[in-house]
Amino acid sequence: MTAKMIAQLERKQRDTKPIGPGDGDGDNEGPKRQKVNRPDTQELLKRMRRVDKDQSRRYRQRTGE
Amino acid sequence: MERLFGIETEYGITLENEAHIDAVKQSIELIKSYRQEDFRPVWDYRGEDPFRDERGFRANALSNHPDEKEEEKRDRKRNIKERLSFAEIKSDHILANGARLYNDHAHPEYSTPECSSLFDLVAHDKAGERILQRCAETRSEKLGKRVLLYKNNTDFHGHSYGCHDNYLMAREVPFEILKQGIMPFFITRQIFAGSGKIGIETEAGLATPGHYQLSQRSDFFHVEASVDTMHNRPIVNTRDEPHADASKYRRLHGIAGDANMSEYATALKVGTTALVITLIEQRRVPESLALVNPIDTIKTVSHDQTYRWIVMTAEGKTMSAIDHQREYLALAQKHLSETVGLETDWVLTEWEDTLNALEADPMSLTDRLDWVAKKWLLETFAEEEGVAWDDPWLQSLDLEYHNIDLDEGLYYGIPMRRVVTDEQIDAALHNPPADTRAYFRGRAVDRFSDSIKAIQWDSITFTVDGRTREINLNALADAAIARQYNEALDQSPNVETLLEKLHQ
Repeated sequence: MTAKMIAQLERKQRDTKPIGPGDGDGDNEGPKRQKVNRPDTQELLKRMRRVDKDQSRRYRQRTGE
Repeated sequence: MERLFGIETEYGITLENEAHIDAVKQSIELIKSYRQEDFRPVWDYRGEDPFRDERGFRANALSNHPDEKEEEKRDRKRNIKERLSFAEIKSDHILANGARLYNDHAHPEYSTPECSSLFDLVAHDKAGERILQRCAETRSEKLGKRVLLYKNNTDFHGHSYGCHDNYLMAREVPFEILKQGIMPFFITRQIFAGSGKIGIETEAGLATPGHYQLSQRSDFFHVEASVDTMHNRPIVNTRDEPHADASKYRRLHGIAGDANMSEYATALKVGTTALVITLIEQRRVPESLALVNPIDTIKTVSHDQTYRWIVMTAEGKTMSAIDHQREYLALAQKHLSETVGLETDWVLTEWEDTLNALEADPMSLTDRLDWVAKKWLLETFAEEEGVAWDDPWLQSLDLEYHNIDLDEGLYYGIPMRRVVTDEQIDAALHNPPADTRAYFRGRAVDRFSDSIKAIQWDSITFTVDGRTREINLNALADAAIARQYNEALDQSPNVETLLEKLHQ
């Protein structure tokens, strides 16, 4: 049973590491601007624009605990 | 942290572009997609009695949402037509990592294994998301339509579902002492543990659109303490199901919290609550921290747009929810710092830092707290697109913050502070925590599944040579005994040897 379950649970790996000091464009010359842990707004906005405006209006659940 | 705790989460479930689904049916089918072989029901329900009350009696009935009357009629018809047994409806699965995965009423639920490490718990909570998302992908392929899962607590139409944080604690603490100490804490905990919500709800539906509040759940509490969980919900639930030796332990079944996407918020929520329970066990929490009008206050704190979060104590003193939390923090620093381990140290440090940041600039916590991250996300979008706060689009974004699909969910588009690694989460998919009775359960399921006749949180029944043999796991609440049992299981090539080693 377990081997099948494990096989079924294999998932694709993706990087969810937060942006932090040391990440970035790799430019080693000149003064560094301070790294700020801010989300990439453009990518996030793209993700948000894909959201169906009516999703919450359609969304209905049974009450739970 | 020298305490057993776990999180049980009911997920919202729907199908893409569909307004009306049979949630029970879809939840059952989703859970079924976890496995490839035939379902063999082994969960033992004898340890469950949601009517039993911590205050020493058994309730005659439980409250339910008015909508459920019609829904349950439809349930009965479906169950008869499709000949669904109780076991098939529940579809209980016990996983090799010690968790329980099943259909709870009309929601897929993942109950983490019992953990004694805060960061083990966070990894297992996240593993639950990954497992359910994989189930959704398998089910979507079969159905030819996307199944969407949300780790949130509301449908924005007056229906709430829970994320319960559970703590094993000393039975000798009278329930009234527990209630006195924990209820005020739950009321102000939401300033860092809330997941944020657009709109104010009642059970009748959305009452005030556009109002951004701290908590998903606070609108749904109407009673200070009771055994109910589905309707007329209490801030302190009195269900008496210790899932352990009832003469020694009770389980605090915390239903007043939100489902957190943020690892940091989950760790802080559970870590601070675990410390407060220790303070309560030591009788350190003074009555002066009690708050007036708890039912109103849990809502006014959540709704407050000024972020001053003023509360009034039962003695008539006003203070901010931040300072109220600081009172608990000071008690923990004073009385628990002698026994600190790394995790307790982490909780005390982050608790203080978070309260200071909430006072100075809540938005500085965008990378840590769910309600702040979601507010930042919605503000960014509203400004960019020129939409008003009562625009339903923002409510849809609120919902999608909780979508557990790593590629679609909005939470996963924000670089939040992590407290566990992806490797730890991957390990938690298949491995139980090493130092609790969950290890015994998970490894037994992994190795001796064919011999298991019945299983529940605190016992496993094997069939050996046609005979039924039960191993009671009650004593494994003690870490030293859990270690002995876990070692015995590791050293046993078969169930017969295991039973011999345990003198069963």
